[in-house]
Amino acid sequence: MTLQRWWNQALARWLVRFPALLAIWSRTRRFRKAETIPWMPLQKPLIQCRLALVTTAGVHLKEQPPFDMADPNGDPSFRELPGAVQAEQLRITHDYYDHRDADQDINIVFPIDRLRELVALGLIAGVAPHHYGFMGHIDKHHVDTLVTKTAPEVARRLRRDRVDAVLLTPA
Amino acid sequence: MGLIQRLIEAVGIPTVSVSIKRDITEQVRPPRAVFLKWPLGHPLGEPGQVDQQTTVLLDVLELLVTATEPGVIRDLPYRWRREEYHLAARLEQFKLAAGAL
Repeated sequence: MTLQRWWNQALARWLVRFPALLAIWSRTRRFRKAETIPWMPLQKPLIQCRLALVTTAGVHLKEQPPFDMADPNGDPSFRELPGAVQAEQLRITHDYYDHRDADQDINIVFPIDRLRELVALGLIAGVAPHHYGFMGHIDKHHVDTLVTKTAPEVARRLRRDRVDAVLLTPA
Repeated sequence: MGLIQRLIEAVGIPTVSVSIKRDITEQVRPPRAVFLKWPLGHPLGEPGQVDQQTTVLLDVLELLVTATEPGVIRDLPYRWRREEYHLAARLEQFKLAAGAL
């Protein structure tokens, strides 16, 4: 492992252990405040809805290429996950948060088993044919790639799959 | 995450997210979010805590149904590791509401 990756992972653990550090870190990052907010009301009762998950916690299939940890500005690409994916088929590649708990139970960042339990209870109609994994630590020119290319492509695929609603979870 | 959420909503799909960094969510302004003052890497809670994870999930789904204005951030009341979850009661309540949802 490179020194840079070791440092990123160590920093990630401190940020989880000391929330005050996280507050300081997030103040150093500038986000443009959006003027308008897109809005689409739910079109049918929840019990008739098929839901997809999108996470920025660095989740991908074990056989898919991991997210690029060498680029300090992150990796704006995404991984398409099958709707029927099992928790044990997944892994996390993301050095910028401490995912030892999520490695134990992926549901804390990608609640696929919990969602299926709600389907079994009849509270939602089903799980979408695909879910999507991103890594959240994206900076500089990769933000443009995310906003103009990869995220719109995922939006297009979610439309293709006719999902009724999307639940997004961060790292 | 909020940027991705906005782009998905913009193609006509309702979205909701879990935020654990409220200041960022306030700036990015996704259509709907629940906020939890919980540590990074734990948006649904702790490993193996099914009742806790499902409780958050139900609150998230409920917001999908009840939100009436764009940009809503609903603060969830759960304290980190100092909360008891009564899932059976919550599920009954959710089922009753689900008829209307």
